[in-house]
Amino acid sequence: MPDPVDRGARKPPAAEPARLAFADGVRQTLMLAPTYLPFGMVCGVAAVQADLGEAGAIALAGLAFAGSAQAVLTQFLQSGAPLAIAILSGLIVNLRMAVYSATIAPRLAGATRRERLLWAAFLVDQTFLFEEVRHAQGRHRAHALAHYLGLSAVLWPAWVVANALGAFAGARLPAHWQLEFTIPLSFIAMVAPMLRDASQRITAFTGGVAGVLLFALPLKLGLIAACLLGVLAGLLADSILAAHRGRSSERRET
Amino acid sequence: MGSFEGWVAILALAAGTFAIRYSFIGFLAGRRMPPWFERVMRLSVLAIFAALVVPLVVLDQGRFAPEIRAPHIIAALTTAAVARWRGGTVLPLVVGMATLHLAMHSMW
Repeated sequence: MPDPVDRGARKPPAAEPARLAFADGVRQTLMLAPTYLPFGMVCGVAAVQADLGEAGAIALAGLAFAGSAQAVLTQFLQSGAPLAIAILSGLIVNLRMAVYSATIAPRLAGATRRERLLWAAFLVDQTFLFEEVRHAQGRHRAHALAHYLGLSAVLWPAWVVANALGAFAGARLPAHWQLEFTIPLSFIAMVAPMLRDASQRITAFTGGVAGVLLFALPLKLGLIAACLLGVLAGLLADSILAAHRGRSSERRET
Repeated sequence: MGSFEGWVAILALAAGTFAIRYSFIGFLAGRRMPPWFERVMRLSVLAIFAALVVPLVVLDQGRFAPEIRAPHIIAALTTAAVARWRGGTVLPLVVGMATLHLAMHSMW
């Protein structure tokens, strides 16, 4: 670890770091482009198939800026679910962003309202993960926002463009390619690595089985019910595991 | 579905999503999230994805039909395995779609 004197000696001119932090963010999200551009196109295709039109597809990408929620919303609209259920399902998918919001919030002590709005506007999986890495490594310490805006300056426009491409080109893609199946597959790719502990696996398993068993419930309420059942099963597993741990540690003590 | 409904859905999802993002950064600035609340939110994301994905994989027009959906089930399991093994989204997706088409052509 360099001492403060050393760091001071290597510090670039005063005007430089903010720009460097921004450029670093730009570079990071550019390198990630192959991972979100295809999914953006799929979301654009799905939005048009759900009858939102090209303009709606682009507005959805630009305003919601949340791929999985966009895909969930359009899946539900297409399957004839009531509006409220479709919106609610999309929002449940985005609840993870409340966790991101809570993680970042303590770092924003003293931030202005305007800065807070900027942090919130571009808070997605990718920007959050890069911000986490930056924070953990202690890089761009004074210019976290500049780095974050560098990430967002690529990610947001690229996302909108990918959705637009999907919206305009999607209708011309042959149906037998089964491109719509990339949506469940991309969800699987996102969720599979997140199943780390037993409770999380039980949650996903219960949610999945209940989703199938309750599929025929009217108004697509099965999804919300399955989600609740999954969460309950996970919490139950949590408490059973905690009790079990408590008992085994007691046994060790005696 | 009318386009009015579509725009309501777009604006509601956008507004609700922004409210979630701004929650702890803005509305509740300075407050900490209780651990149980964080746990419920993390679990509900897993539950809703599973509840959404599994029917899309195993159901054929609303009916449980593993014999018809075998290629999709194999593709889904392959994608999950690749994602757990290597991480990322592009590689699992490409391998999954390739598996789907391979399975469809070789079985039917």
